[in-house]
Amino acid sequence: MPIWEKRRSALILAGLVAFHILLISIQIPRGAEKSLFEKSIFFLYSPVQRAVTGAVRGLGSLWTNYFDLRGVRGENQKLKKENFFLNQDVRFLEDQLQFFRSEAQVRERLAAFQGKIVPARVIGVDSANPFQTIVLDKGSLDGVGKDMAVCDRVGNLVGRTIEPVSLRETMVQLITDKDSSVSVVSAVGRLTGSLTGRSGAVCELRYVLASASGGQVGEELLTTGYDKIYPAGLRVGSIRSIEKDERSPIFRKITVDPYFRFNTIDIVAVIAKAGGDEE
Amino acid sequence: MKEVLRAFLATLLAVFVYSLAGGAGPELIVVFNAFSVVVLYFSVRRGEVFGAFLGTVCGLVQDAFSLGVFGVGGLTKTLLGFWAGFISRRIDVAPLFRNGLFMLIMSVLEMVLWVLVTAVVRRESLNFHGGLILLQPLVTAVLTSSLFAVERRLRARGSRGD
Repeated sequence: MPIWEKRRSALILAGLVAFHILLISIQIPRGAEKSLFEKSIFFLYSPVQRAVTGAVRGLGSLWTNYFDLRGVRGENQKLKKENFFLNQDVRFLEDQLQFFRSEAQVRERLAAFQGKIVPARVIGVDSANPFQTIVLDKGSLDGVGKDMAVCDRVGNLVGRTIEPVSLRETMVQLITDKDSSVSVVSAVGRLTGSLTGRSGAVCELRYVLASASGGQVGEELLTTGYDKIYPAGLRVGSIRSIEKDERSPIFRKITVDPYFRFNTIDIVAVIAKAGGDEE
Repeated sequence: MKEVLRAFLATLLAVFVYSLAGGAGPELIVVFNAFSVVVLYFSVRRGEVFGAFLGTVCGLVQDAFSLGVFGVGGLTKTLLGFWAGFISRRIDVAPLFRNGLFMLIMSVLEMVLWVLVTAVVRRESLNFHGGLILLQPLVTAVLTSSLFAVERRLRARGSRGD
């Protein structure tokens, strides 16, 4: 009997394990860039996820729309939508007022900004760790691409779009992911640093020198726009604690509570192009 | 061909359940792994080769919806499918208690392997979500054993009907 017949199972297992090890190995130097194979699998299965979420939401809305006060609900939805855009506009106005003195300039900026918001629904969360990524129901056909800022319905920063971006779905890296990095500044003390996640509910503010002044517990953090991904002035979170970093004494150890909550990111806003890029 | 179709449907079912769980709350994703349930269930029913292939498919699909290194889930689930199918062909895991214990051991092994591979590949400590993730093997074992119990009951009812 040939060896293939005798050791069929073991050979298949060895082949599959070798395949996976090869797959893992080729990604190590690639960093965050997704392989073509991974993109293909995402493209293949993300419509299923979209269909499931759509079907469940559809059934839910069918029930409520039919039995509930439909007129009131419709009006409520319209108001919510208007409120959603207004919140984004207010945030943007507040941010831009810090940078521009001329009212005419602010209006011009706002007009450009309004057309760039793409509302999207969250159709999935990361299968291994919910604090890493989410999947949106908008893709390249809706004008969504890589490296676009994503905010919740009140304008708090949620994360940025990353690859894979399929025709109708996009993956978003949350600011709570440990590989995420956002350039932020504190609203009062103007303390600047890089906000990174811990793949949990709390983030940390890194690279803040122990000698740096400013920064208090509870102080709000805003994006600086220096990273050219997130527009300046988006609300990110508030400082939770400030301690001396024992491992690296030249820096301060600052933990941050992000503002966005999972129960409020059923609908998010993708900022299709940063408003303050041209500065 | 029928087996391939079943495997594909099982993967779709896992995506379906995973999407529902994700919509219900992020904590559910941490304690509940639909892909592991599918791999364990079909591996015990169909054997190690089928289990290994289904583990590969389910693991890679799971990886595609995660920011982690692509292939880690695939590798651990391939081994899970193979082990579960291989051992269940050599010892009787049909009785309820033994079945539950077997599923628990397999799920714990999968988690240990996943933690080890992730630690080696990413070279950093893992987030255990305040110990919540340690419940995952238990939930997987309970769900898979329940599936077998329901299947046995349905078969018994079917045979009494004949």
